[in-house]
Amino acid sequence: MDIPIFAWVIAIPIITSALVYLAGHLGKGPRGGRISQGVAFVALLITWVPFVLAANEVRLSGSIELVVGTVSLYCDGLSILFAAVVLGLGTLVVLYSGPYLAGENGQEKYYAMLVAMIGVMIGLGCANDLFDLWIWFEAMAICSYLLVAFYRERPASLEAGLKYLVQSATGSVLVLIAIGFVVSQSGTLNLQELRATIQPSFTVLVVGALFVIGFGVKTALVPLHTWLPDAHSQAPSGISAMLSGVVIEAGLVAMLRALSALATPIHSWSILLLLFGALNMLVGNLMALRQNQVKRLLAYSSLTHVGYMLIGIGISLYVGEGSAAQGGLFHLINHGLMKGLAFLAAGVLLYTLHIQLDDHGPLIIEDLAGAARRYPVVALTLSLAVLGLGGLPPLAGFMSKWQICVAGFETKEVLIWALIVFAALNSVLSLAYYAPLVNVVYRKQPSRVVQQGGPVPISMSIPLVILALAIIVIGVWPSVMSWLTSPAGSALLAAFS
Amino acid sequence: MNLSSSYVGLIGILGLLGVGFYGLLTTRNLIRIVIALQILVKATLLGLIVAGNTSNQINLVQSLAVTVIVADTVVAVIGIALAVQIRRRVGTLDVKELSTLRG
Repeated sequence: MDIPIFAWVIAIPIITSALVYLAGHLGKGPRGGRISQGVAFVALLITWVPFVLAANEVRLSGSIELVVGTVSLYCDGLSILFAAVVLGLGTLVVLYSGPYLAGENGQEKYYAMLVAMIGVMIGLGCANDLFDLWIWFEAMAICSYLLVAFYRERPASLEAGLKYLVQSATGSVLVLIAIGFVVSQSGTLNLQELRATIQPSFTVLVVGALFVIGFGVKTALVPLHTWLPDAHSQAPSGISAMLSGVVIEAGLVAMLRALSALATPIHSWSILLLLFGALNMLVGNLMALRQNQVKRLLAYSSLTHVGYMLIGIGISLYVGEGSAAQGGLFHLINHGLMKGLAFLAAGVLLYTLHIQLDDHGPLIIEDLAGAARRYPVVALTLSLAVLGLGGLPPLAGFMSKWQICVAGFETKEVLIWALIVFAALNSVLSLAYYAPLVNVVYRKQPSRVVQQGGPVPISMSIPLVILALAIIVIGVWPSVMSWLTSPAGSALLAAFS
Repeated sequence: MNLSSSYVGLIGILGLLGVGFYGLLTTRNLIRIVIALQILVKATLLGLIVAGNTSNQINLVQSLAVTVIVADTVVAVIGIALAVQIRRRVGTLDVKELSTLRG
């Protein structure tokens, strides 16, 4: 059988996750953890080779399909874009986690689950069947439950894991009910066949609503977001970066794929997405303003950024024109990089100021006072990340927000204009909690906590520097990412029309 | 015959969904929460089978149902494992007493 190259991008991480786990048992204690980390890192580096080849193939031919019996995988621009973010952030998180987890039990499980989750998420982007979509989604969820509850001796971490599990499992039940409706209506689950066969009816609307709610739990649509701040703040920092940077976006990708199969009443979906987008931006900002724990603040700001993506994609579906969706997907990439960097940088400070000293308390904003004197690189990258998230030029976050806003104004619809103004105001509002972070880091006298802090390991600084450079480069030359965003935007729109 | 069997199935699905959601919303015991989730999934399994029966796709939905059982068992196992850990570390299975994360 002829296996297309993109299948290896999915297969290598999933297969090697077992190897990662076994390799961890070669050495006892901390040495085992380092071996697992090494195998995981090499496996992800190898995965880049088929990824680059597959991306090139998709660029030339538009899409690739793999059919095995009744199961098929379909790789288009959107799959490639999502795979790029997942693989990029995943590789850096594996590199970063070494010192962070040193001394913890069960590191081989952590790396095995992380690598498996990366493979499964890339697979999720390529699903071409509603039920396959559910399977990938559930597999990703299972990996992430275990990773969120990684500190199994801490009650708060267990509570966060359980909350996440119950809410997410309820969401996936709703998706299954929707799949049941689809089977009873059309007898097929293949996305392309469904697009051709399904007729607009009341049932289709119910199915769409169930998809939005079911996948929306994972995407953290307000009011289904209550698991998110707990899970993001209690997970190990590398996992917080993955959760916020790619896992919630995986929910968004799954939702869009599922809705695209029911493309018929396209207008109603777009209005739903726009409404949730507006709600997410507002609630995310208001909740983030009240936080004094850094990781919870960043977690709430993820809600806001999902809102921007929904607005971009929603506008595109509303007017049937691709540039806003490209902006939304561009924001997906940028948010992955910026929020990933913010969580990793906050994680470094959590590590040096608390974990190294055997203190498992949260990192609060006052702890950061004067951190720039002692940790210049970490402070600079953290500031770049949060300013980028706040949308200051010339950083990446500004470019994608700008693209969404420009595309929105070009629609010449009053409703969309109002929404864009609302989004811009929210972007300004978000600076009200990002700017104090930068202020505390740079302009305060070093706190006692900072003075007692330990050194920063080099393997934790490398991912920070790489991500910070990426944010600046994308901000200055936004067109470096258009090879990912424009095929993805047109693939998304083609699926819906 | 076919019509009546799907009606019976539909009543079963709604009943199970009702019981599952009621349990999920009212109980405070972690083990019971996991059981309520299981009841919900059983409702959807029945739903898949009834849906396949009405659209003559029984082979398709049976394979889906078996896969759902597998995936769902893993979720239940993780849920129970978390409950066991919580009982060990916190000494209670009551979610109200467990709840510390707010805001």
